[in-house]
Amino acid sequence: VGLNSLRIRLAGAAPAPVFVVCGLGGRERVVDLYAEPGLQVYSTPRHAGVLLVVGRLTRGLVAPALQAHDQMASPRLVVRWTAADGDDPGDHGDVFPNAVVAHGSAAEVAAAVAAAHRELLAGDRPPSAALLADIEPAPWQGVGPYGTGGTGMTGGVPFGRPMAARAADRDDLELDQLKLRLGPLLPSLPSGLVLDVALQGDVVQSAAVGDNPYRLYAGDPVPAAPAPGLFERACHQPVRIAELERARARHHLRWAAGLARLVGLEALGVRLTTLSARLAASEESAQAERLLTRIGRSRWVAGTFAGGDLDDAGLAGLGPVARAAGSEEDARTHDPAYRALGFEPVLGEGGDTPGRVRQRLAEAVQALRLATAAGDATTTVSGVVEGPRGRLGRGAPPPSAALVDLVAGVVEGLEWGDAVAAIASLDLDVEEAARHPQMAMP
Amino acid sequence: VTVWAPAVAAVGVGAALVTGTWAVATLDTAVAGVVAGRGLHLRRAALAPLRRAALLAGRHPVTTERPDAPAWVVAGPLLLALAGAALSALPLAEGLAVADVPDGLVLYGAAMALVMVAVFLHGWAPNSVFPLIGAYRFVAQALSYQIALFLVLLGAALPAGSLGLGAIVEAQSELWNVIRQPLGLPLFLVAGTALSFWGPLALPDGEDLAGGTAAESSGRELLVWRTARAAVLVATAAVAAACFLGGWLGPVLPGPVWMVAKTLALLVILVVPAHVVPRVRIERFVSFGWTILLPLSLVDVFAAGVVALRTST
Repeated sequence: VGLNSLRIRLAGAAPAPVFVVCGLGGRERVVDLYAEPGLQVYSTPRHAGVLLVVGRLTRGLVAPALQAHDQMASPRLVVRWTAADGDDPGDHGDVFPNAVVAHGSAAEVAAAVAAAHRELLAGDRPPSAALLADIEPAPWQGVGPYGTGGTGMTGGVPFGRPMAARAADRDDLELDQLKLRLGPLLPSLPSGLVLDVALQGDVVQSAAVGDNPYRLYAGDPVPAAPAPGLFERACHQPVRIAELERARARHHLRWAAGLARLVGLEALGVRLTTLSARLAASEESAQAERLLTRIGRSRWVAGTFAGGDLDDAGLAGLGPVARAAGSEEDARTHDPAYRALGFEPVLGEGGDTPGRVRQRLAEAVQALRLATAAGDATTTVSGVVEGPRGRLGRGAPPPSAALVDLVAGVVEGLEWGDAVAAIASLDLDVEEAARHPQMAMP
Repeated sequence: VTVWAPAVAAVGVGAALVTGTWAVATLDTAVAGVVAGRGLHLRRAALAPLRRAALLAGRHPVTTERPDAPAWVVAGPLLLALAGAALSALPLAEGLAVADVPDGLVLYGAAMALVMVAVFLHGWAPNSVFPLIGAYRFVAQALSYQIALFLVLLGAALPAGSLGLGAIVEAQSELWNVIRQPLGLPLFLVAGTALSFWGPLALPDGEDLAGGTAAESSGRELLVWRTARAAVLVATAAVAAACFLGGWLGPVLPGPVWMVAKTLALLVILVVPAHVVPRVRIERFVSFGWTILLPLSLVDVFAAGVVALRTST
């Protein structure tokens, strides 16, 4: 008994192991969670004990969230992080009836999660029971000589799982090909991205982007439109350049933090996220500039990333992705206030994954320098703004809608590690893509 | 003495495994804290592994759909046992080893060659895609470092004219192998990082694979697996300390203190890159292994052979 209570006390002092489900409006908040010392965010629900649902669950996210829940080892618990103004009632809140509800800042939510997790370990809170029936995902198809439903020893969908089937590879060899659906909760992909891939070994032979889980269907409660961000506001009113460029640098820093995690540098990701919140201070801003410059110059980028080529064509309006591939387009060049600062776009770091990584790092450094130099200068309103992902304004579709369309092409033929890095280098926001008019309710 | 010998041996190896893996986890947490900008908190770092272990130990295991259950049960303990076997041949001081076998290096090599089996089983067993990709990645990785790993160790054995780890240490009483064979230690540390699939070479358990071979692991099984991985790293550092840094040799302090200090120093060198060097692409590592690591290790072993021949004649 003494030993067990010691174990529970020790375990309660560990960071709460969390798996995050990013719902509507959750993306920005999720990034902050990684920097919370009281939490340990894992990339698989198997390592976690707390399912943290951030934002509203949509219809497309319910089934994956339930599966993630049941994959966590018991004792487990669900926490929902609702927005400060409260998520709309009538969302899919009844999916996790026993969830702990938390709101506020990331630090406040982290504290609430840790407290609830401690109660769970101490036995003061009932663990969450399995929510899905433990049944075969599809009936056994006793067809074919080996009962797989396919021919020979390969093919078929014996339990709703496609078996590997023979298919020609890039060298026209007939090799086993495995078709898989990955996402929307795979943390090495942008949250919400569903990817149907055909893998041969760990090489992506072909890929297609599946249904957007953030899309709303007729009859779904419509969430209140998110408050316009600084970049959206800049379309209609002048804003201080220093503020706008700091926001851009912040965006790129947080993107870099995600990339750092993807290549195993979790601690560096924490550092970048922490810095991103403190760019208004000149010391932290200078520190961020030095760090980004060092990462961009180092040999790491070339050694860690490869492939993912895109040519300049069809990238109009896609900001860093387009400029990396050699486009000279940047809405800021048309703004006299920027020209007065001597602004010239960063160009042509390369149309592949390492190029896009270097491009974004260089643009973040540039943004920090512009912010320092801009003083009180404000932007000139033209209806078009260069956002961190590309051109915004005038009813144009958000850049992410076009970025999602690039995914399938960019990963084809890449080894899986390179494929996830190539997707990360596009910096797409699947939720933003779902707001595209063409994705509106059917 | 003979009756108690197995028990003493088990306690010795067990103590080495526990303190070694705890040291690795502490170092890892401390370095992560510094890189994250949270500062160096040694006490918190030393407690963190115990807390995480307590957390994992209390979780009920979950399983996957149609796993290879026996393989899953075996994989983690097998890896831990292999690290233990490697450590058992390592002398803490002159004649002070659990299994002071005359061919200690062969025992180490045999144990470390089987690491591939343990990792593959661990990826195979859950019947899941990402663990399996991780398993195959490790096979590609292992084929690329293994020859080099054992060649540089052979180089270290040449001056001693013996495959016994004690004899290898004693042969360094005048000059450590790290100076005599300048290529040896760096090459061994690279190959050893790959063997321990740690840091930039943690490809089979990579983040892009949501944890790779451990993606479906939870609770105690995950705890055993993480401990076993750290244990392999400890064995790597300890062997490097014995073969290149003169093991227990050193002035003033008693032998075991030197051996432990050198092992710890090498652990720092092995752990720090995990937080500052990004993951290497598997393709890049494989080509590096065959075009750079292997040729350099051949140069190392030939140079060591020439020196050994000239000294003996």
